[in-house]
Amino acid sequence: MTFNNMEDPKQIRLDRMRYTKNILSSRLVYLAILFDVLYFVSVYESDVGNWYYSALIGISIVYNLVFMLVSFLSSEGVKNYKMGYGWVLGALGIGQIVRIFILPMMAHTALTKRSDPVLKKVLEVPVMEDGQFIFAVVCLVLSALCCLAAGGIALVRSRKLLAYHAALAAVK
Amino acid sequence: MANISLQHLDKIYDNKVQAVFDFNLEVKDGEFIVLVGPSGCGKSTTLRMVAGLEDISAGRLLLDGKDITTAPAKDRDMAMVFQNYALYGHMTVYENMAFSLTLRKEDPNVIHKKVLAAAEILGLTDQLNKKPKQLSGGQRQRVAMGRAIVRNPKVFLFDEPLSNLDAKLRGATRREILLLHKRMHATMLYVTHDQTEALTLADRIVCMSMGRVQQVGTPLELYDTPANLFVASFIGLPPMNFFNVNIANGKAVNQYFSVALTEKERELLAGYEGKEVTLGVRPEDVDEGGDISVCVYSNENLGMNTLVHGRLNNAHAADAAITCKLRGWCDYKAGDTVKVQFVKRHFFDRETTNAIR
Repeated sequence: MTFNNMEDPKQIRLDRMRYTKNILSSRLVYLAILFDVLYFVSVYESDVGNWYYSALIGISIVYNLVFMLVSFLSSEGVKNYKMGYGWVLGALGIGQIVRIFILPMMAHTALTKRSDPVLKKVLEVPVMEDGQFIFAVVCLVLSALCCLAAGGIALVRSRKLLAYHAALAAVK
Repeated sequence: MANISLQHLDKIYDNKVQAVFDFNLEVKDGEFIVLVGPSGCGKSTTLRMVAGLEDISAGRLLLDGKDITTAPAKDRDMAMVFQNYALYGHMTVYENMAFSLTLRKEDPNVIHKKVLAAAEILGLTDQLNKKPKQLSGGQRQRVAMGRAIVRNPKVFLFDEPLSNLDAKLRGATRREILLLHKRMHATMLYVTHDQTEALTLADRIVCMSMGRVQQVGTPLELYDTPANLFVASFIGLPPMNFFNVNIANGKAVNQYFSVALTEKERELLAGYEGKEVTLGVRPEDVDEGGDISVCVYSNENLGMNTLVHGRLNNAHAADAAITCKLRGWCDYKAGDTVKVQFVKRHFFDRETTNAIR
């Protein structure tokens, strides 16, 4: 198989993968991290009594750190067409979806007492109000989509590249 | 097609130091021109003026008849290869070679084909995924050349590209550059202080000293008929021997020897009868036999030749030193006397230092 007589654009694109990195997947993972950061800086509200003082918050914080670390490592992995990291990103994406039903949902359904300076009385309000909840959910969904897309693209491309390498080796 | 015309180029720096004086050169399409000279002679400055990296203080620079004297470097369609490679350390060989085309937003598939073609020419196909630090000096220089090739420029400019390489690599890379030129038929300007590079690579050599062009000609012309003392002393290894001689009665005479002039030399030196001129003899033009007496003080065997360093008539004056490149394997000891003759001689005017022709 000689490369100088390659005329098919698809074939050239495939051959290019041997020398270029999977930047698209890598950038999508960075985007996923960005949405995760937006999520966790938006999730905390100061005036919610003692609702946040639980193990759940601690776990949430630790998970955020783990998510960022693993997804960053995965971005480097998928950049170099390492197939395993595609699966890792898939799992992280599913994890982001699952998270919607843990902290944001629980905070959205839980009530807390908050004094209203205008009405001058104490009201029972959701820990996470609608606007904040929607924003948090959107961030997590986008982060999940980015992870899943990055993982999916990485898997497809890695498989293609692997098959191409095998074909080249067979020709040689 | 790329003809370059350098017309009366001067370079004067802000501190009023003039680096290049009235440089004139016509470079034909596909020609390999080597600018050679000692450090500080203005050869790199001239190249940088052509590249657009230095402003031209005076004169005109034409590329295919179009005046590009003040054109910015990016619009000149020239690619330059530097001594220190100037590769991006964080990029792979492929990315380094593709970089300039990526900046121009060329189609990635076209870039890919160009990079692979250049890599094949340079024998870098197996190195494309490596980073520069994983390559040898010669390979790095080839990557730098590849980066120039993919741009398909009108003119290639090389600024001492082999200076950072060891002797073996330098020889190999020199041959690669020569092959590259033959393959691409591109116009190339090459700067070096190494006369071997100049003699082996050039179609024509421009020999420079102190910012001025001393001689322009083919390698053979510069070697065989040097225009002046500087060119004669700079081109050739070991350098030419020089002696002050008086021309009298058909002979060139000094306190160490007297050589009879040929008929042609007599005609040439007719105007110098009774005057002093400089006689130049290349070490390889000294043969055993004859009546000039050389007292040997060192003998270096090179295999096919022997370099004999000695003193004429065993004199200790500086002007009595002579180097002879004798054929074959000689085993002279220090203190031996060897009789030699000058097979080919060059004569230079003492005042102007120009060759007498």
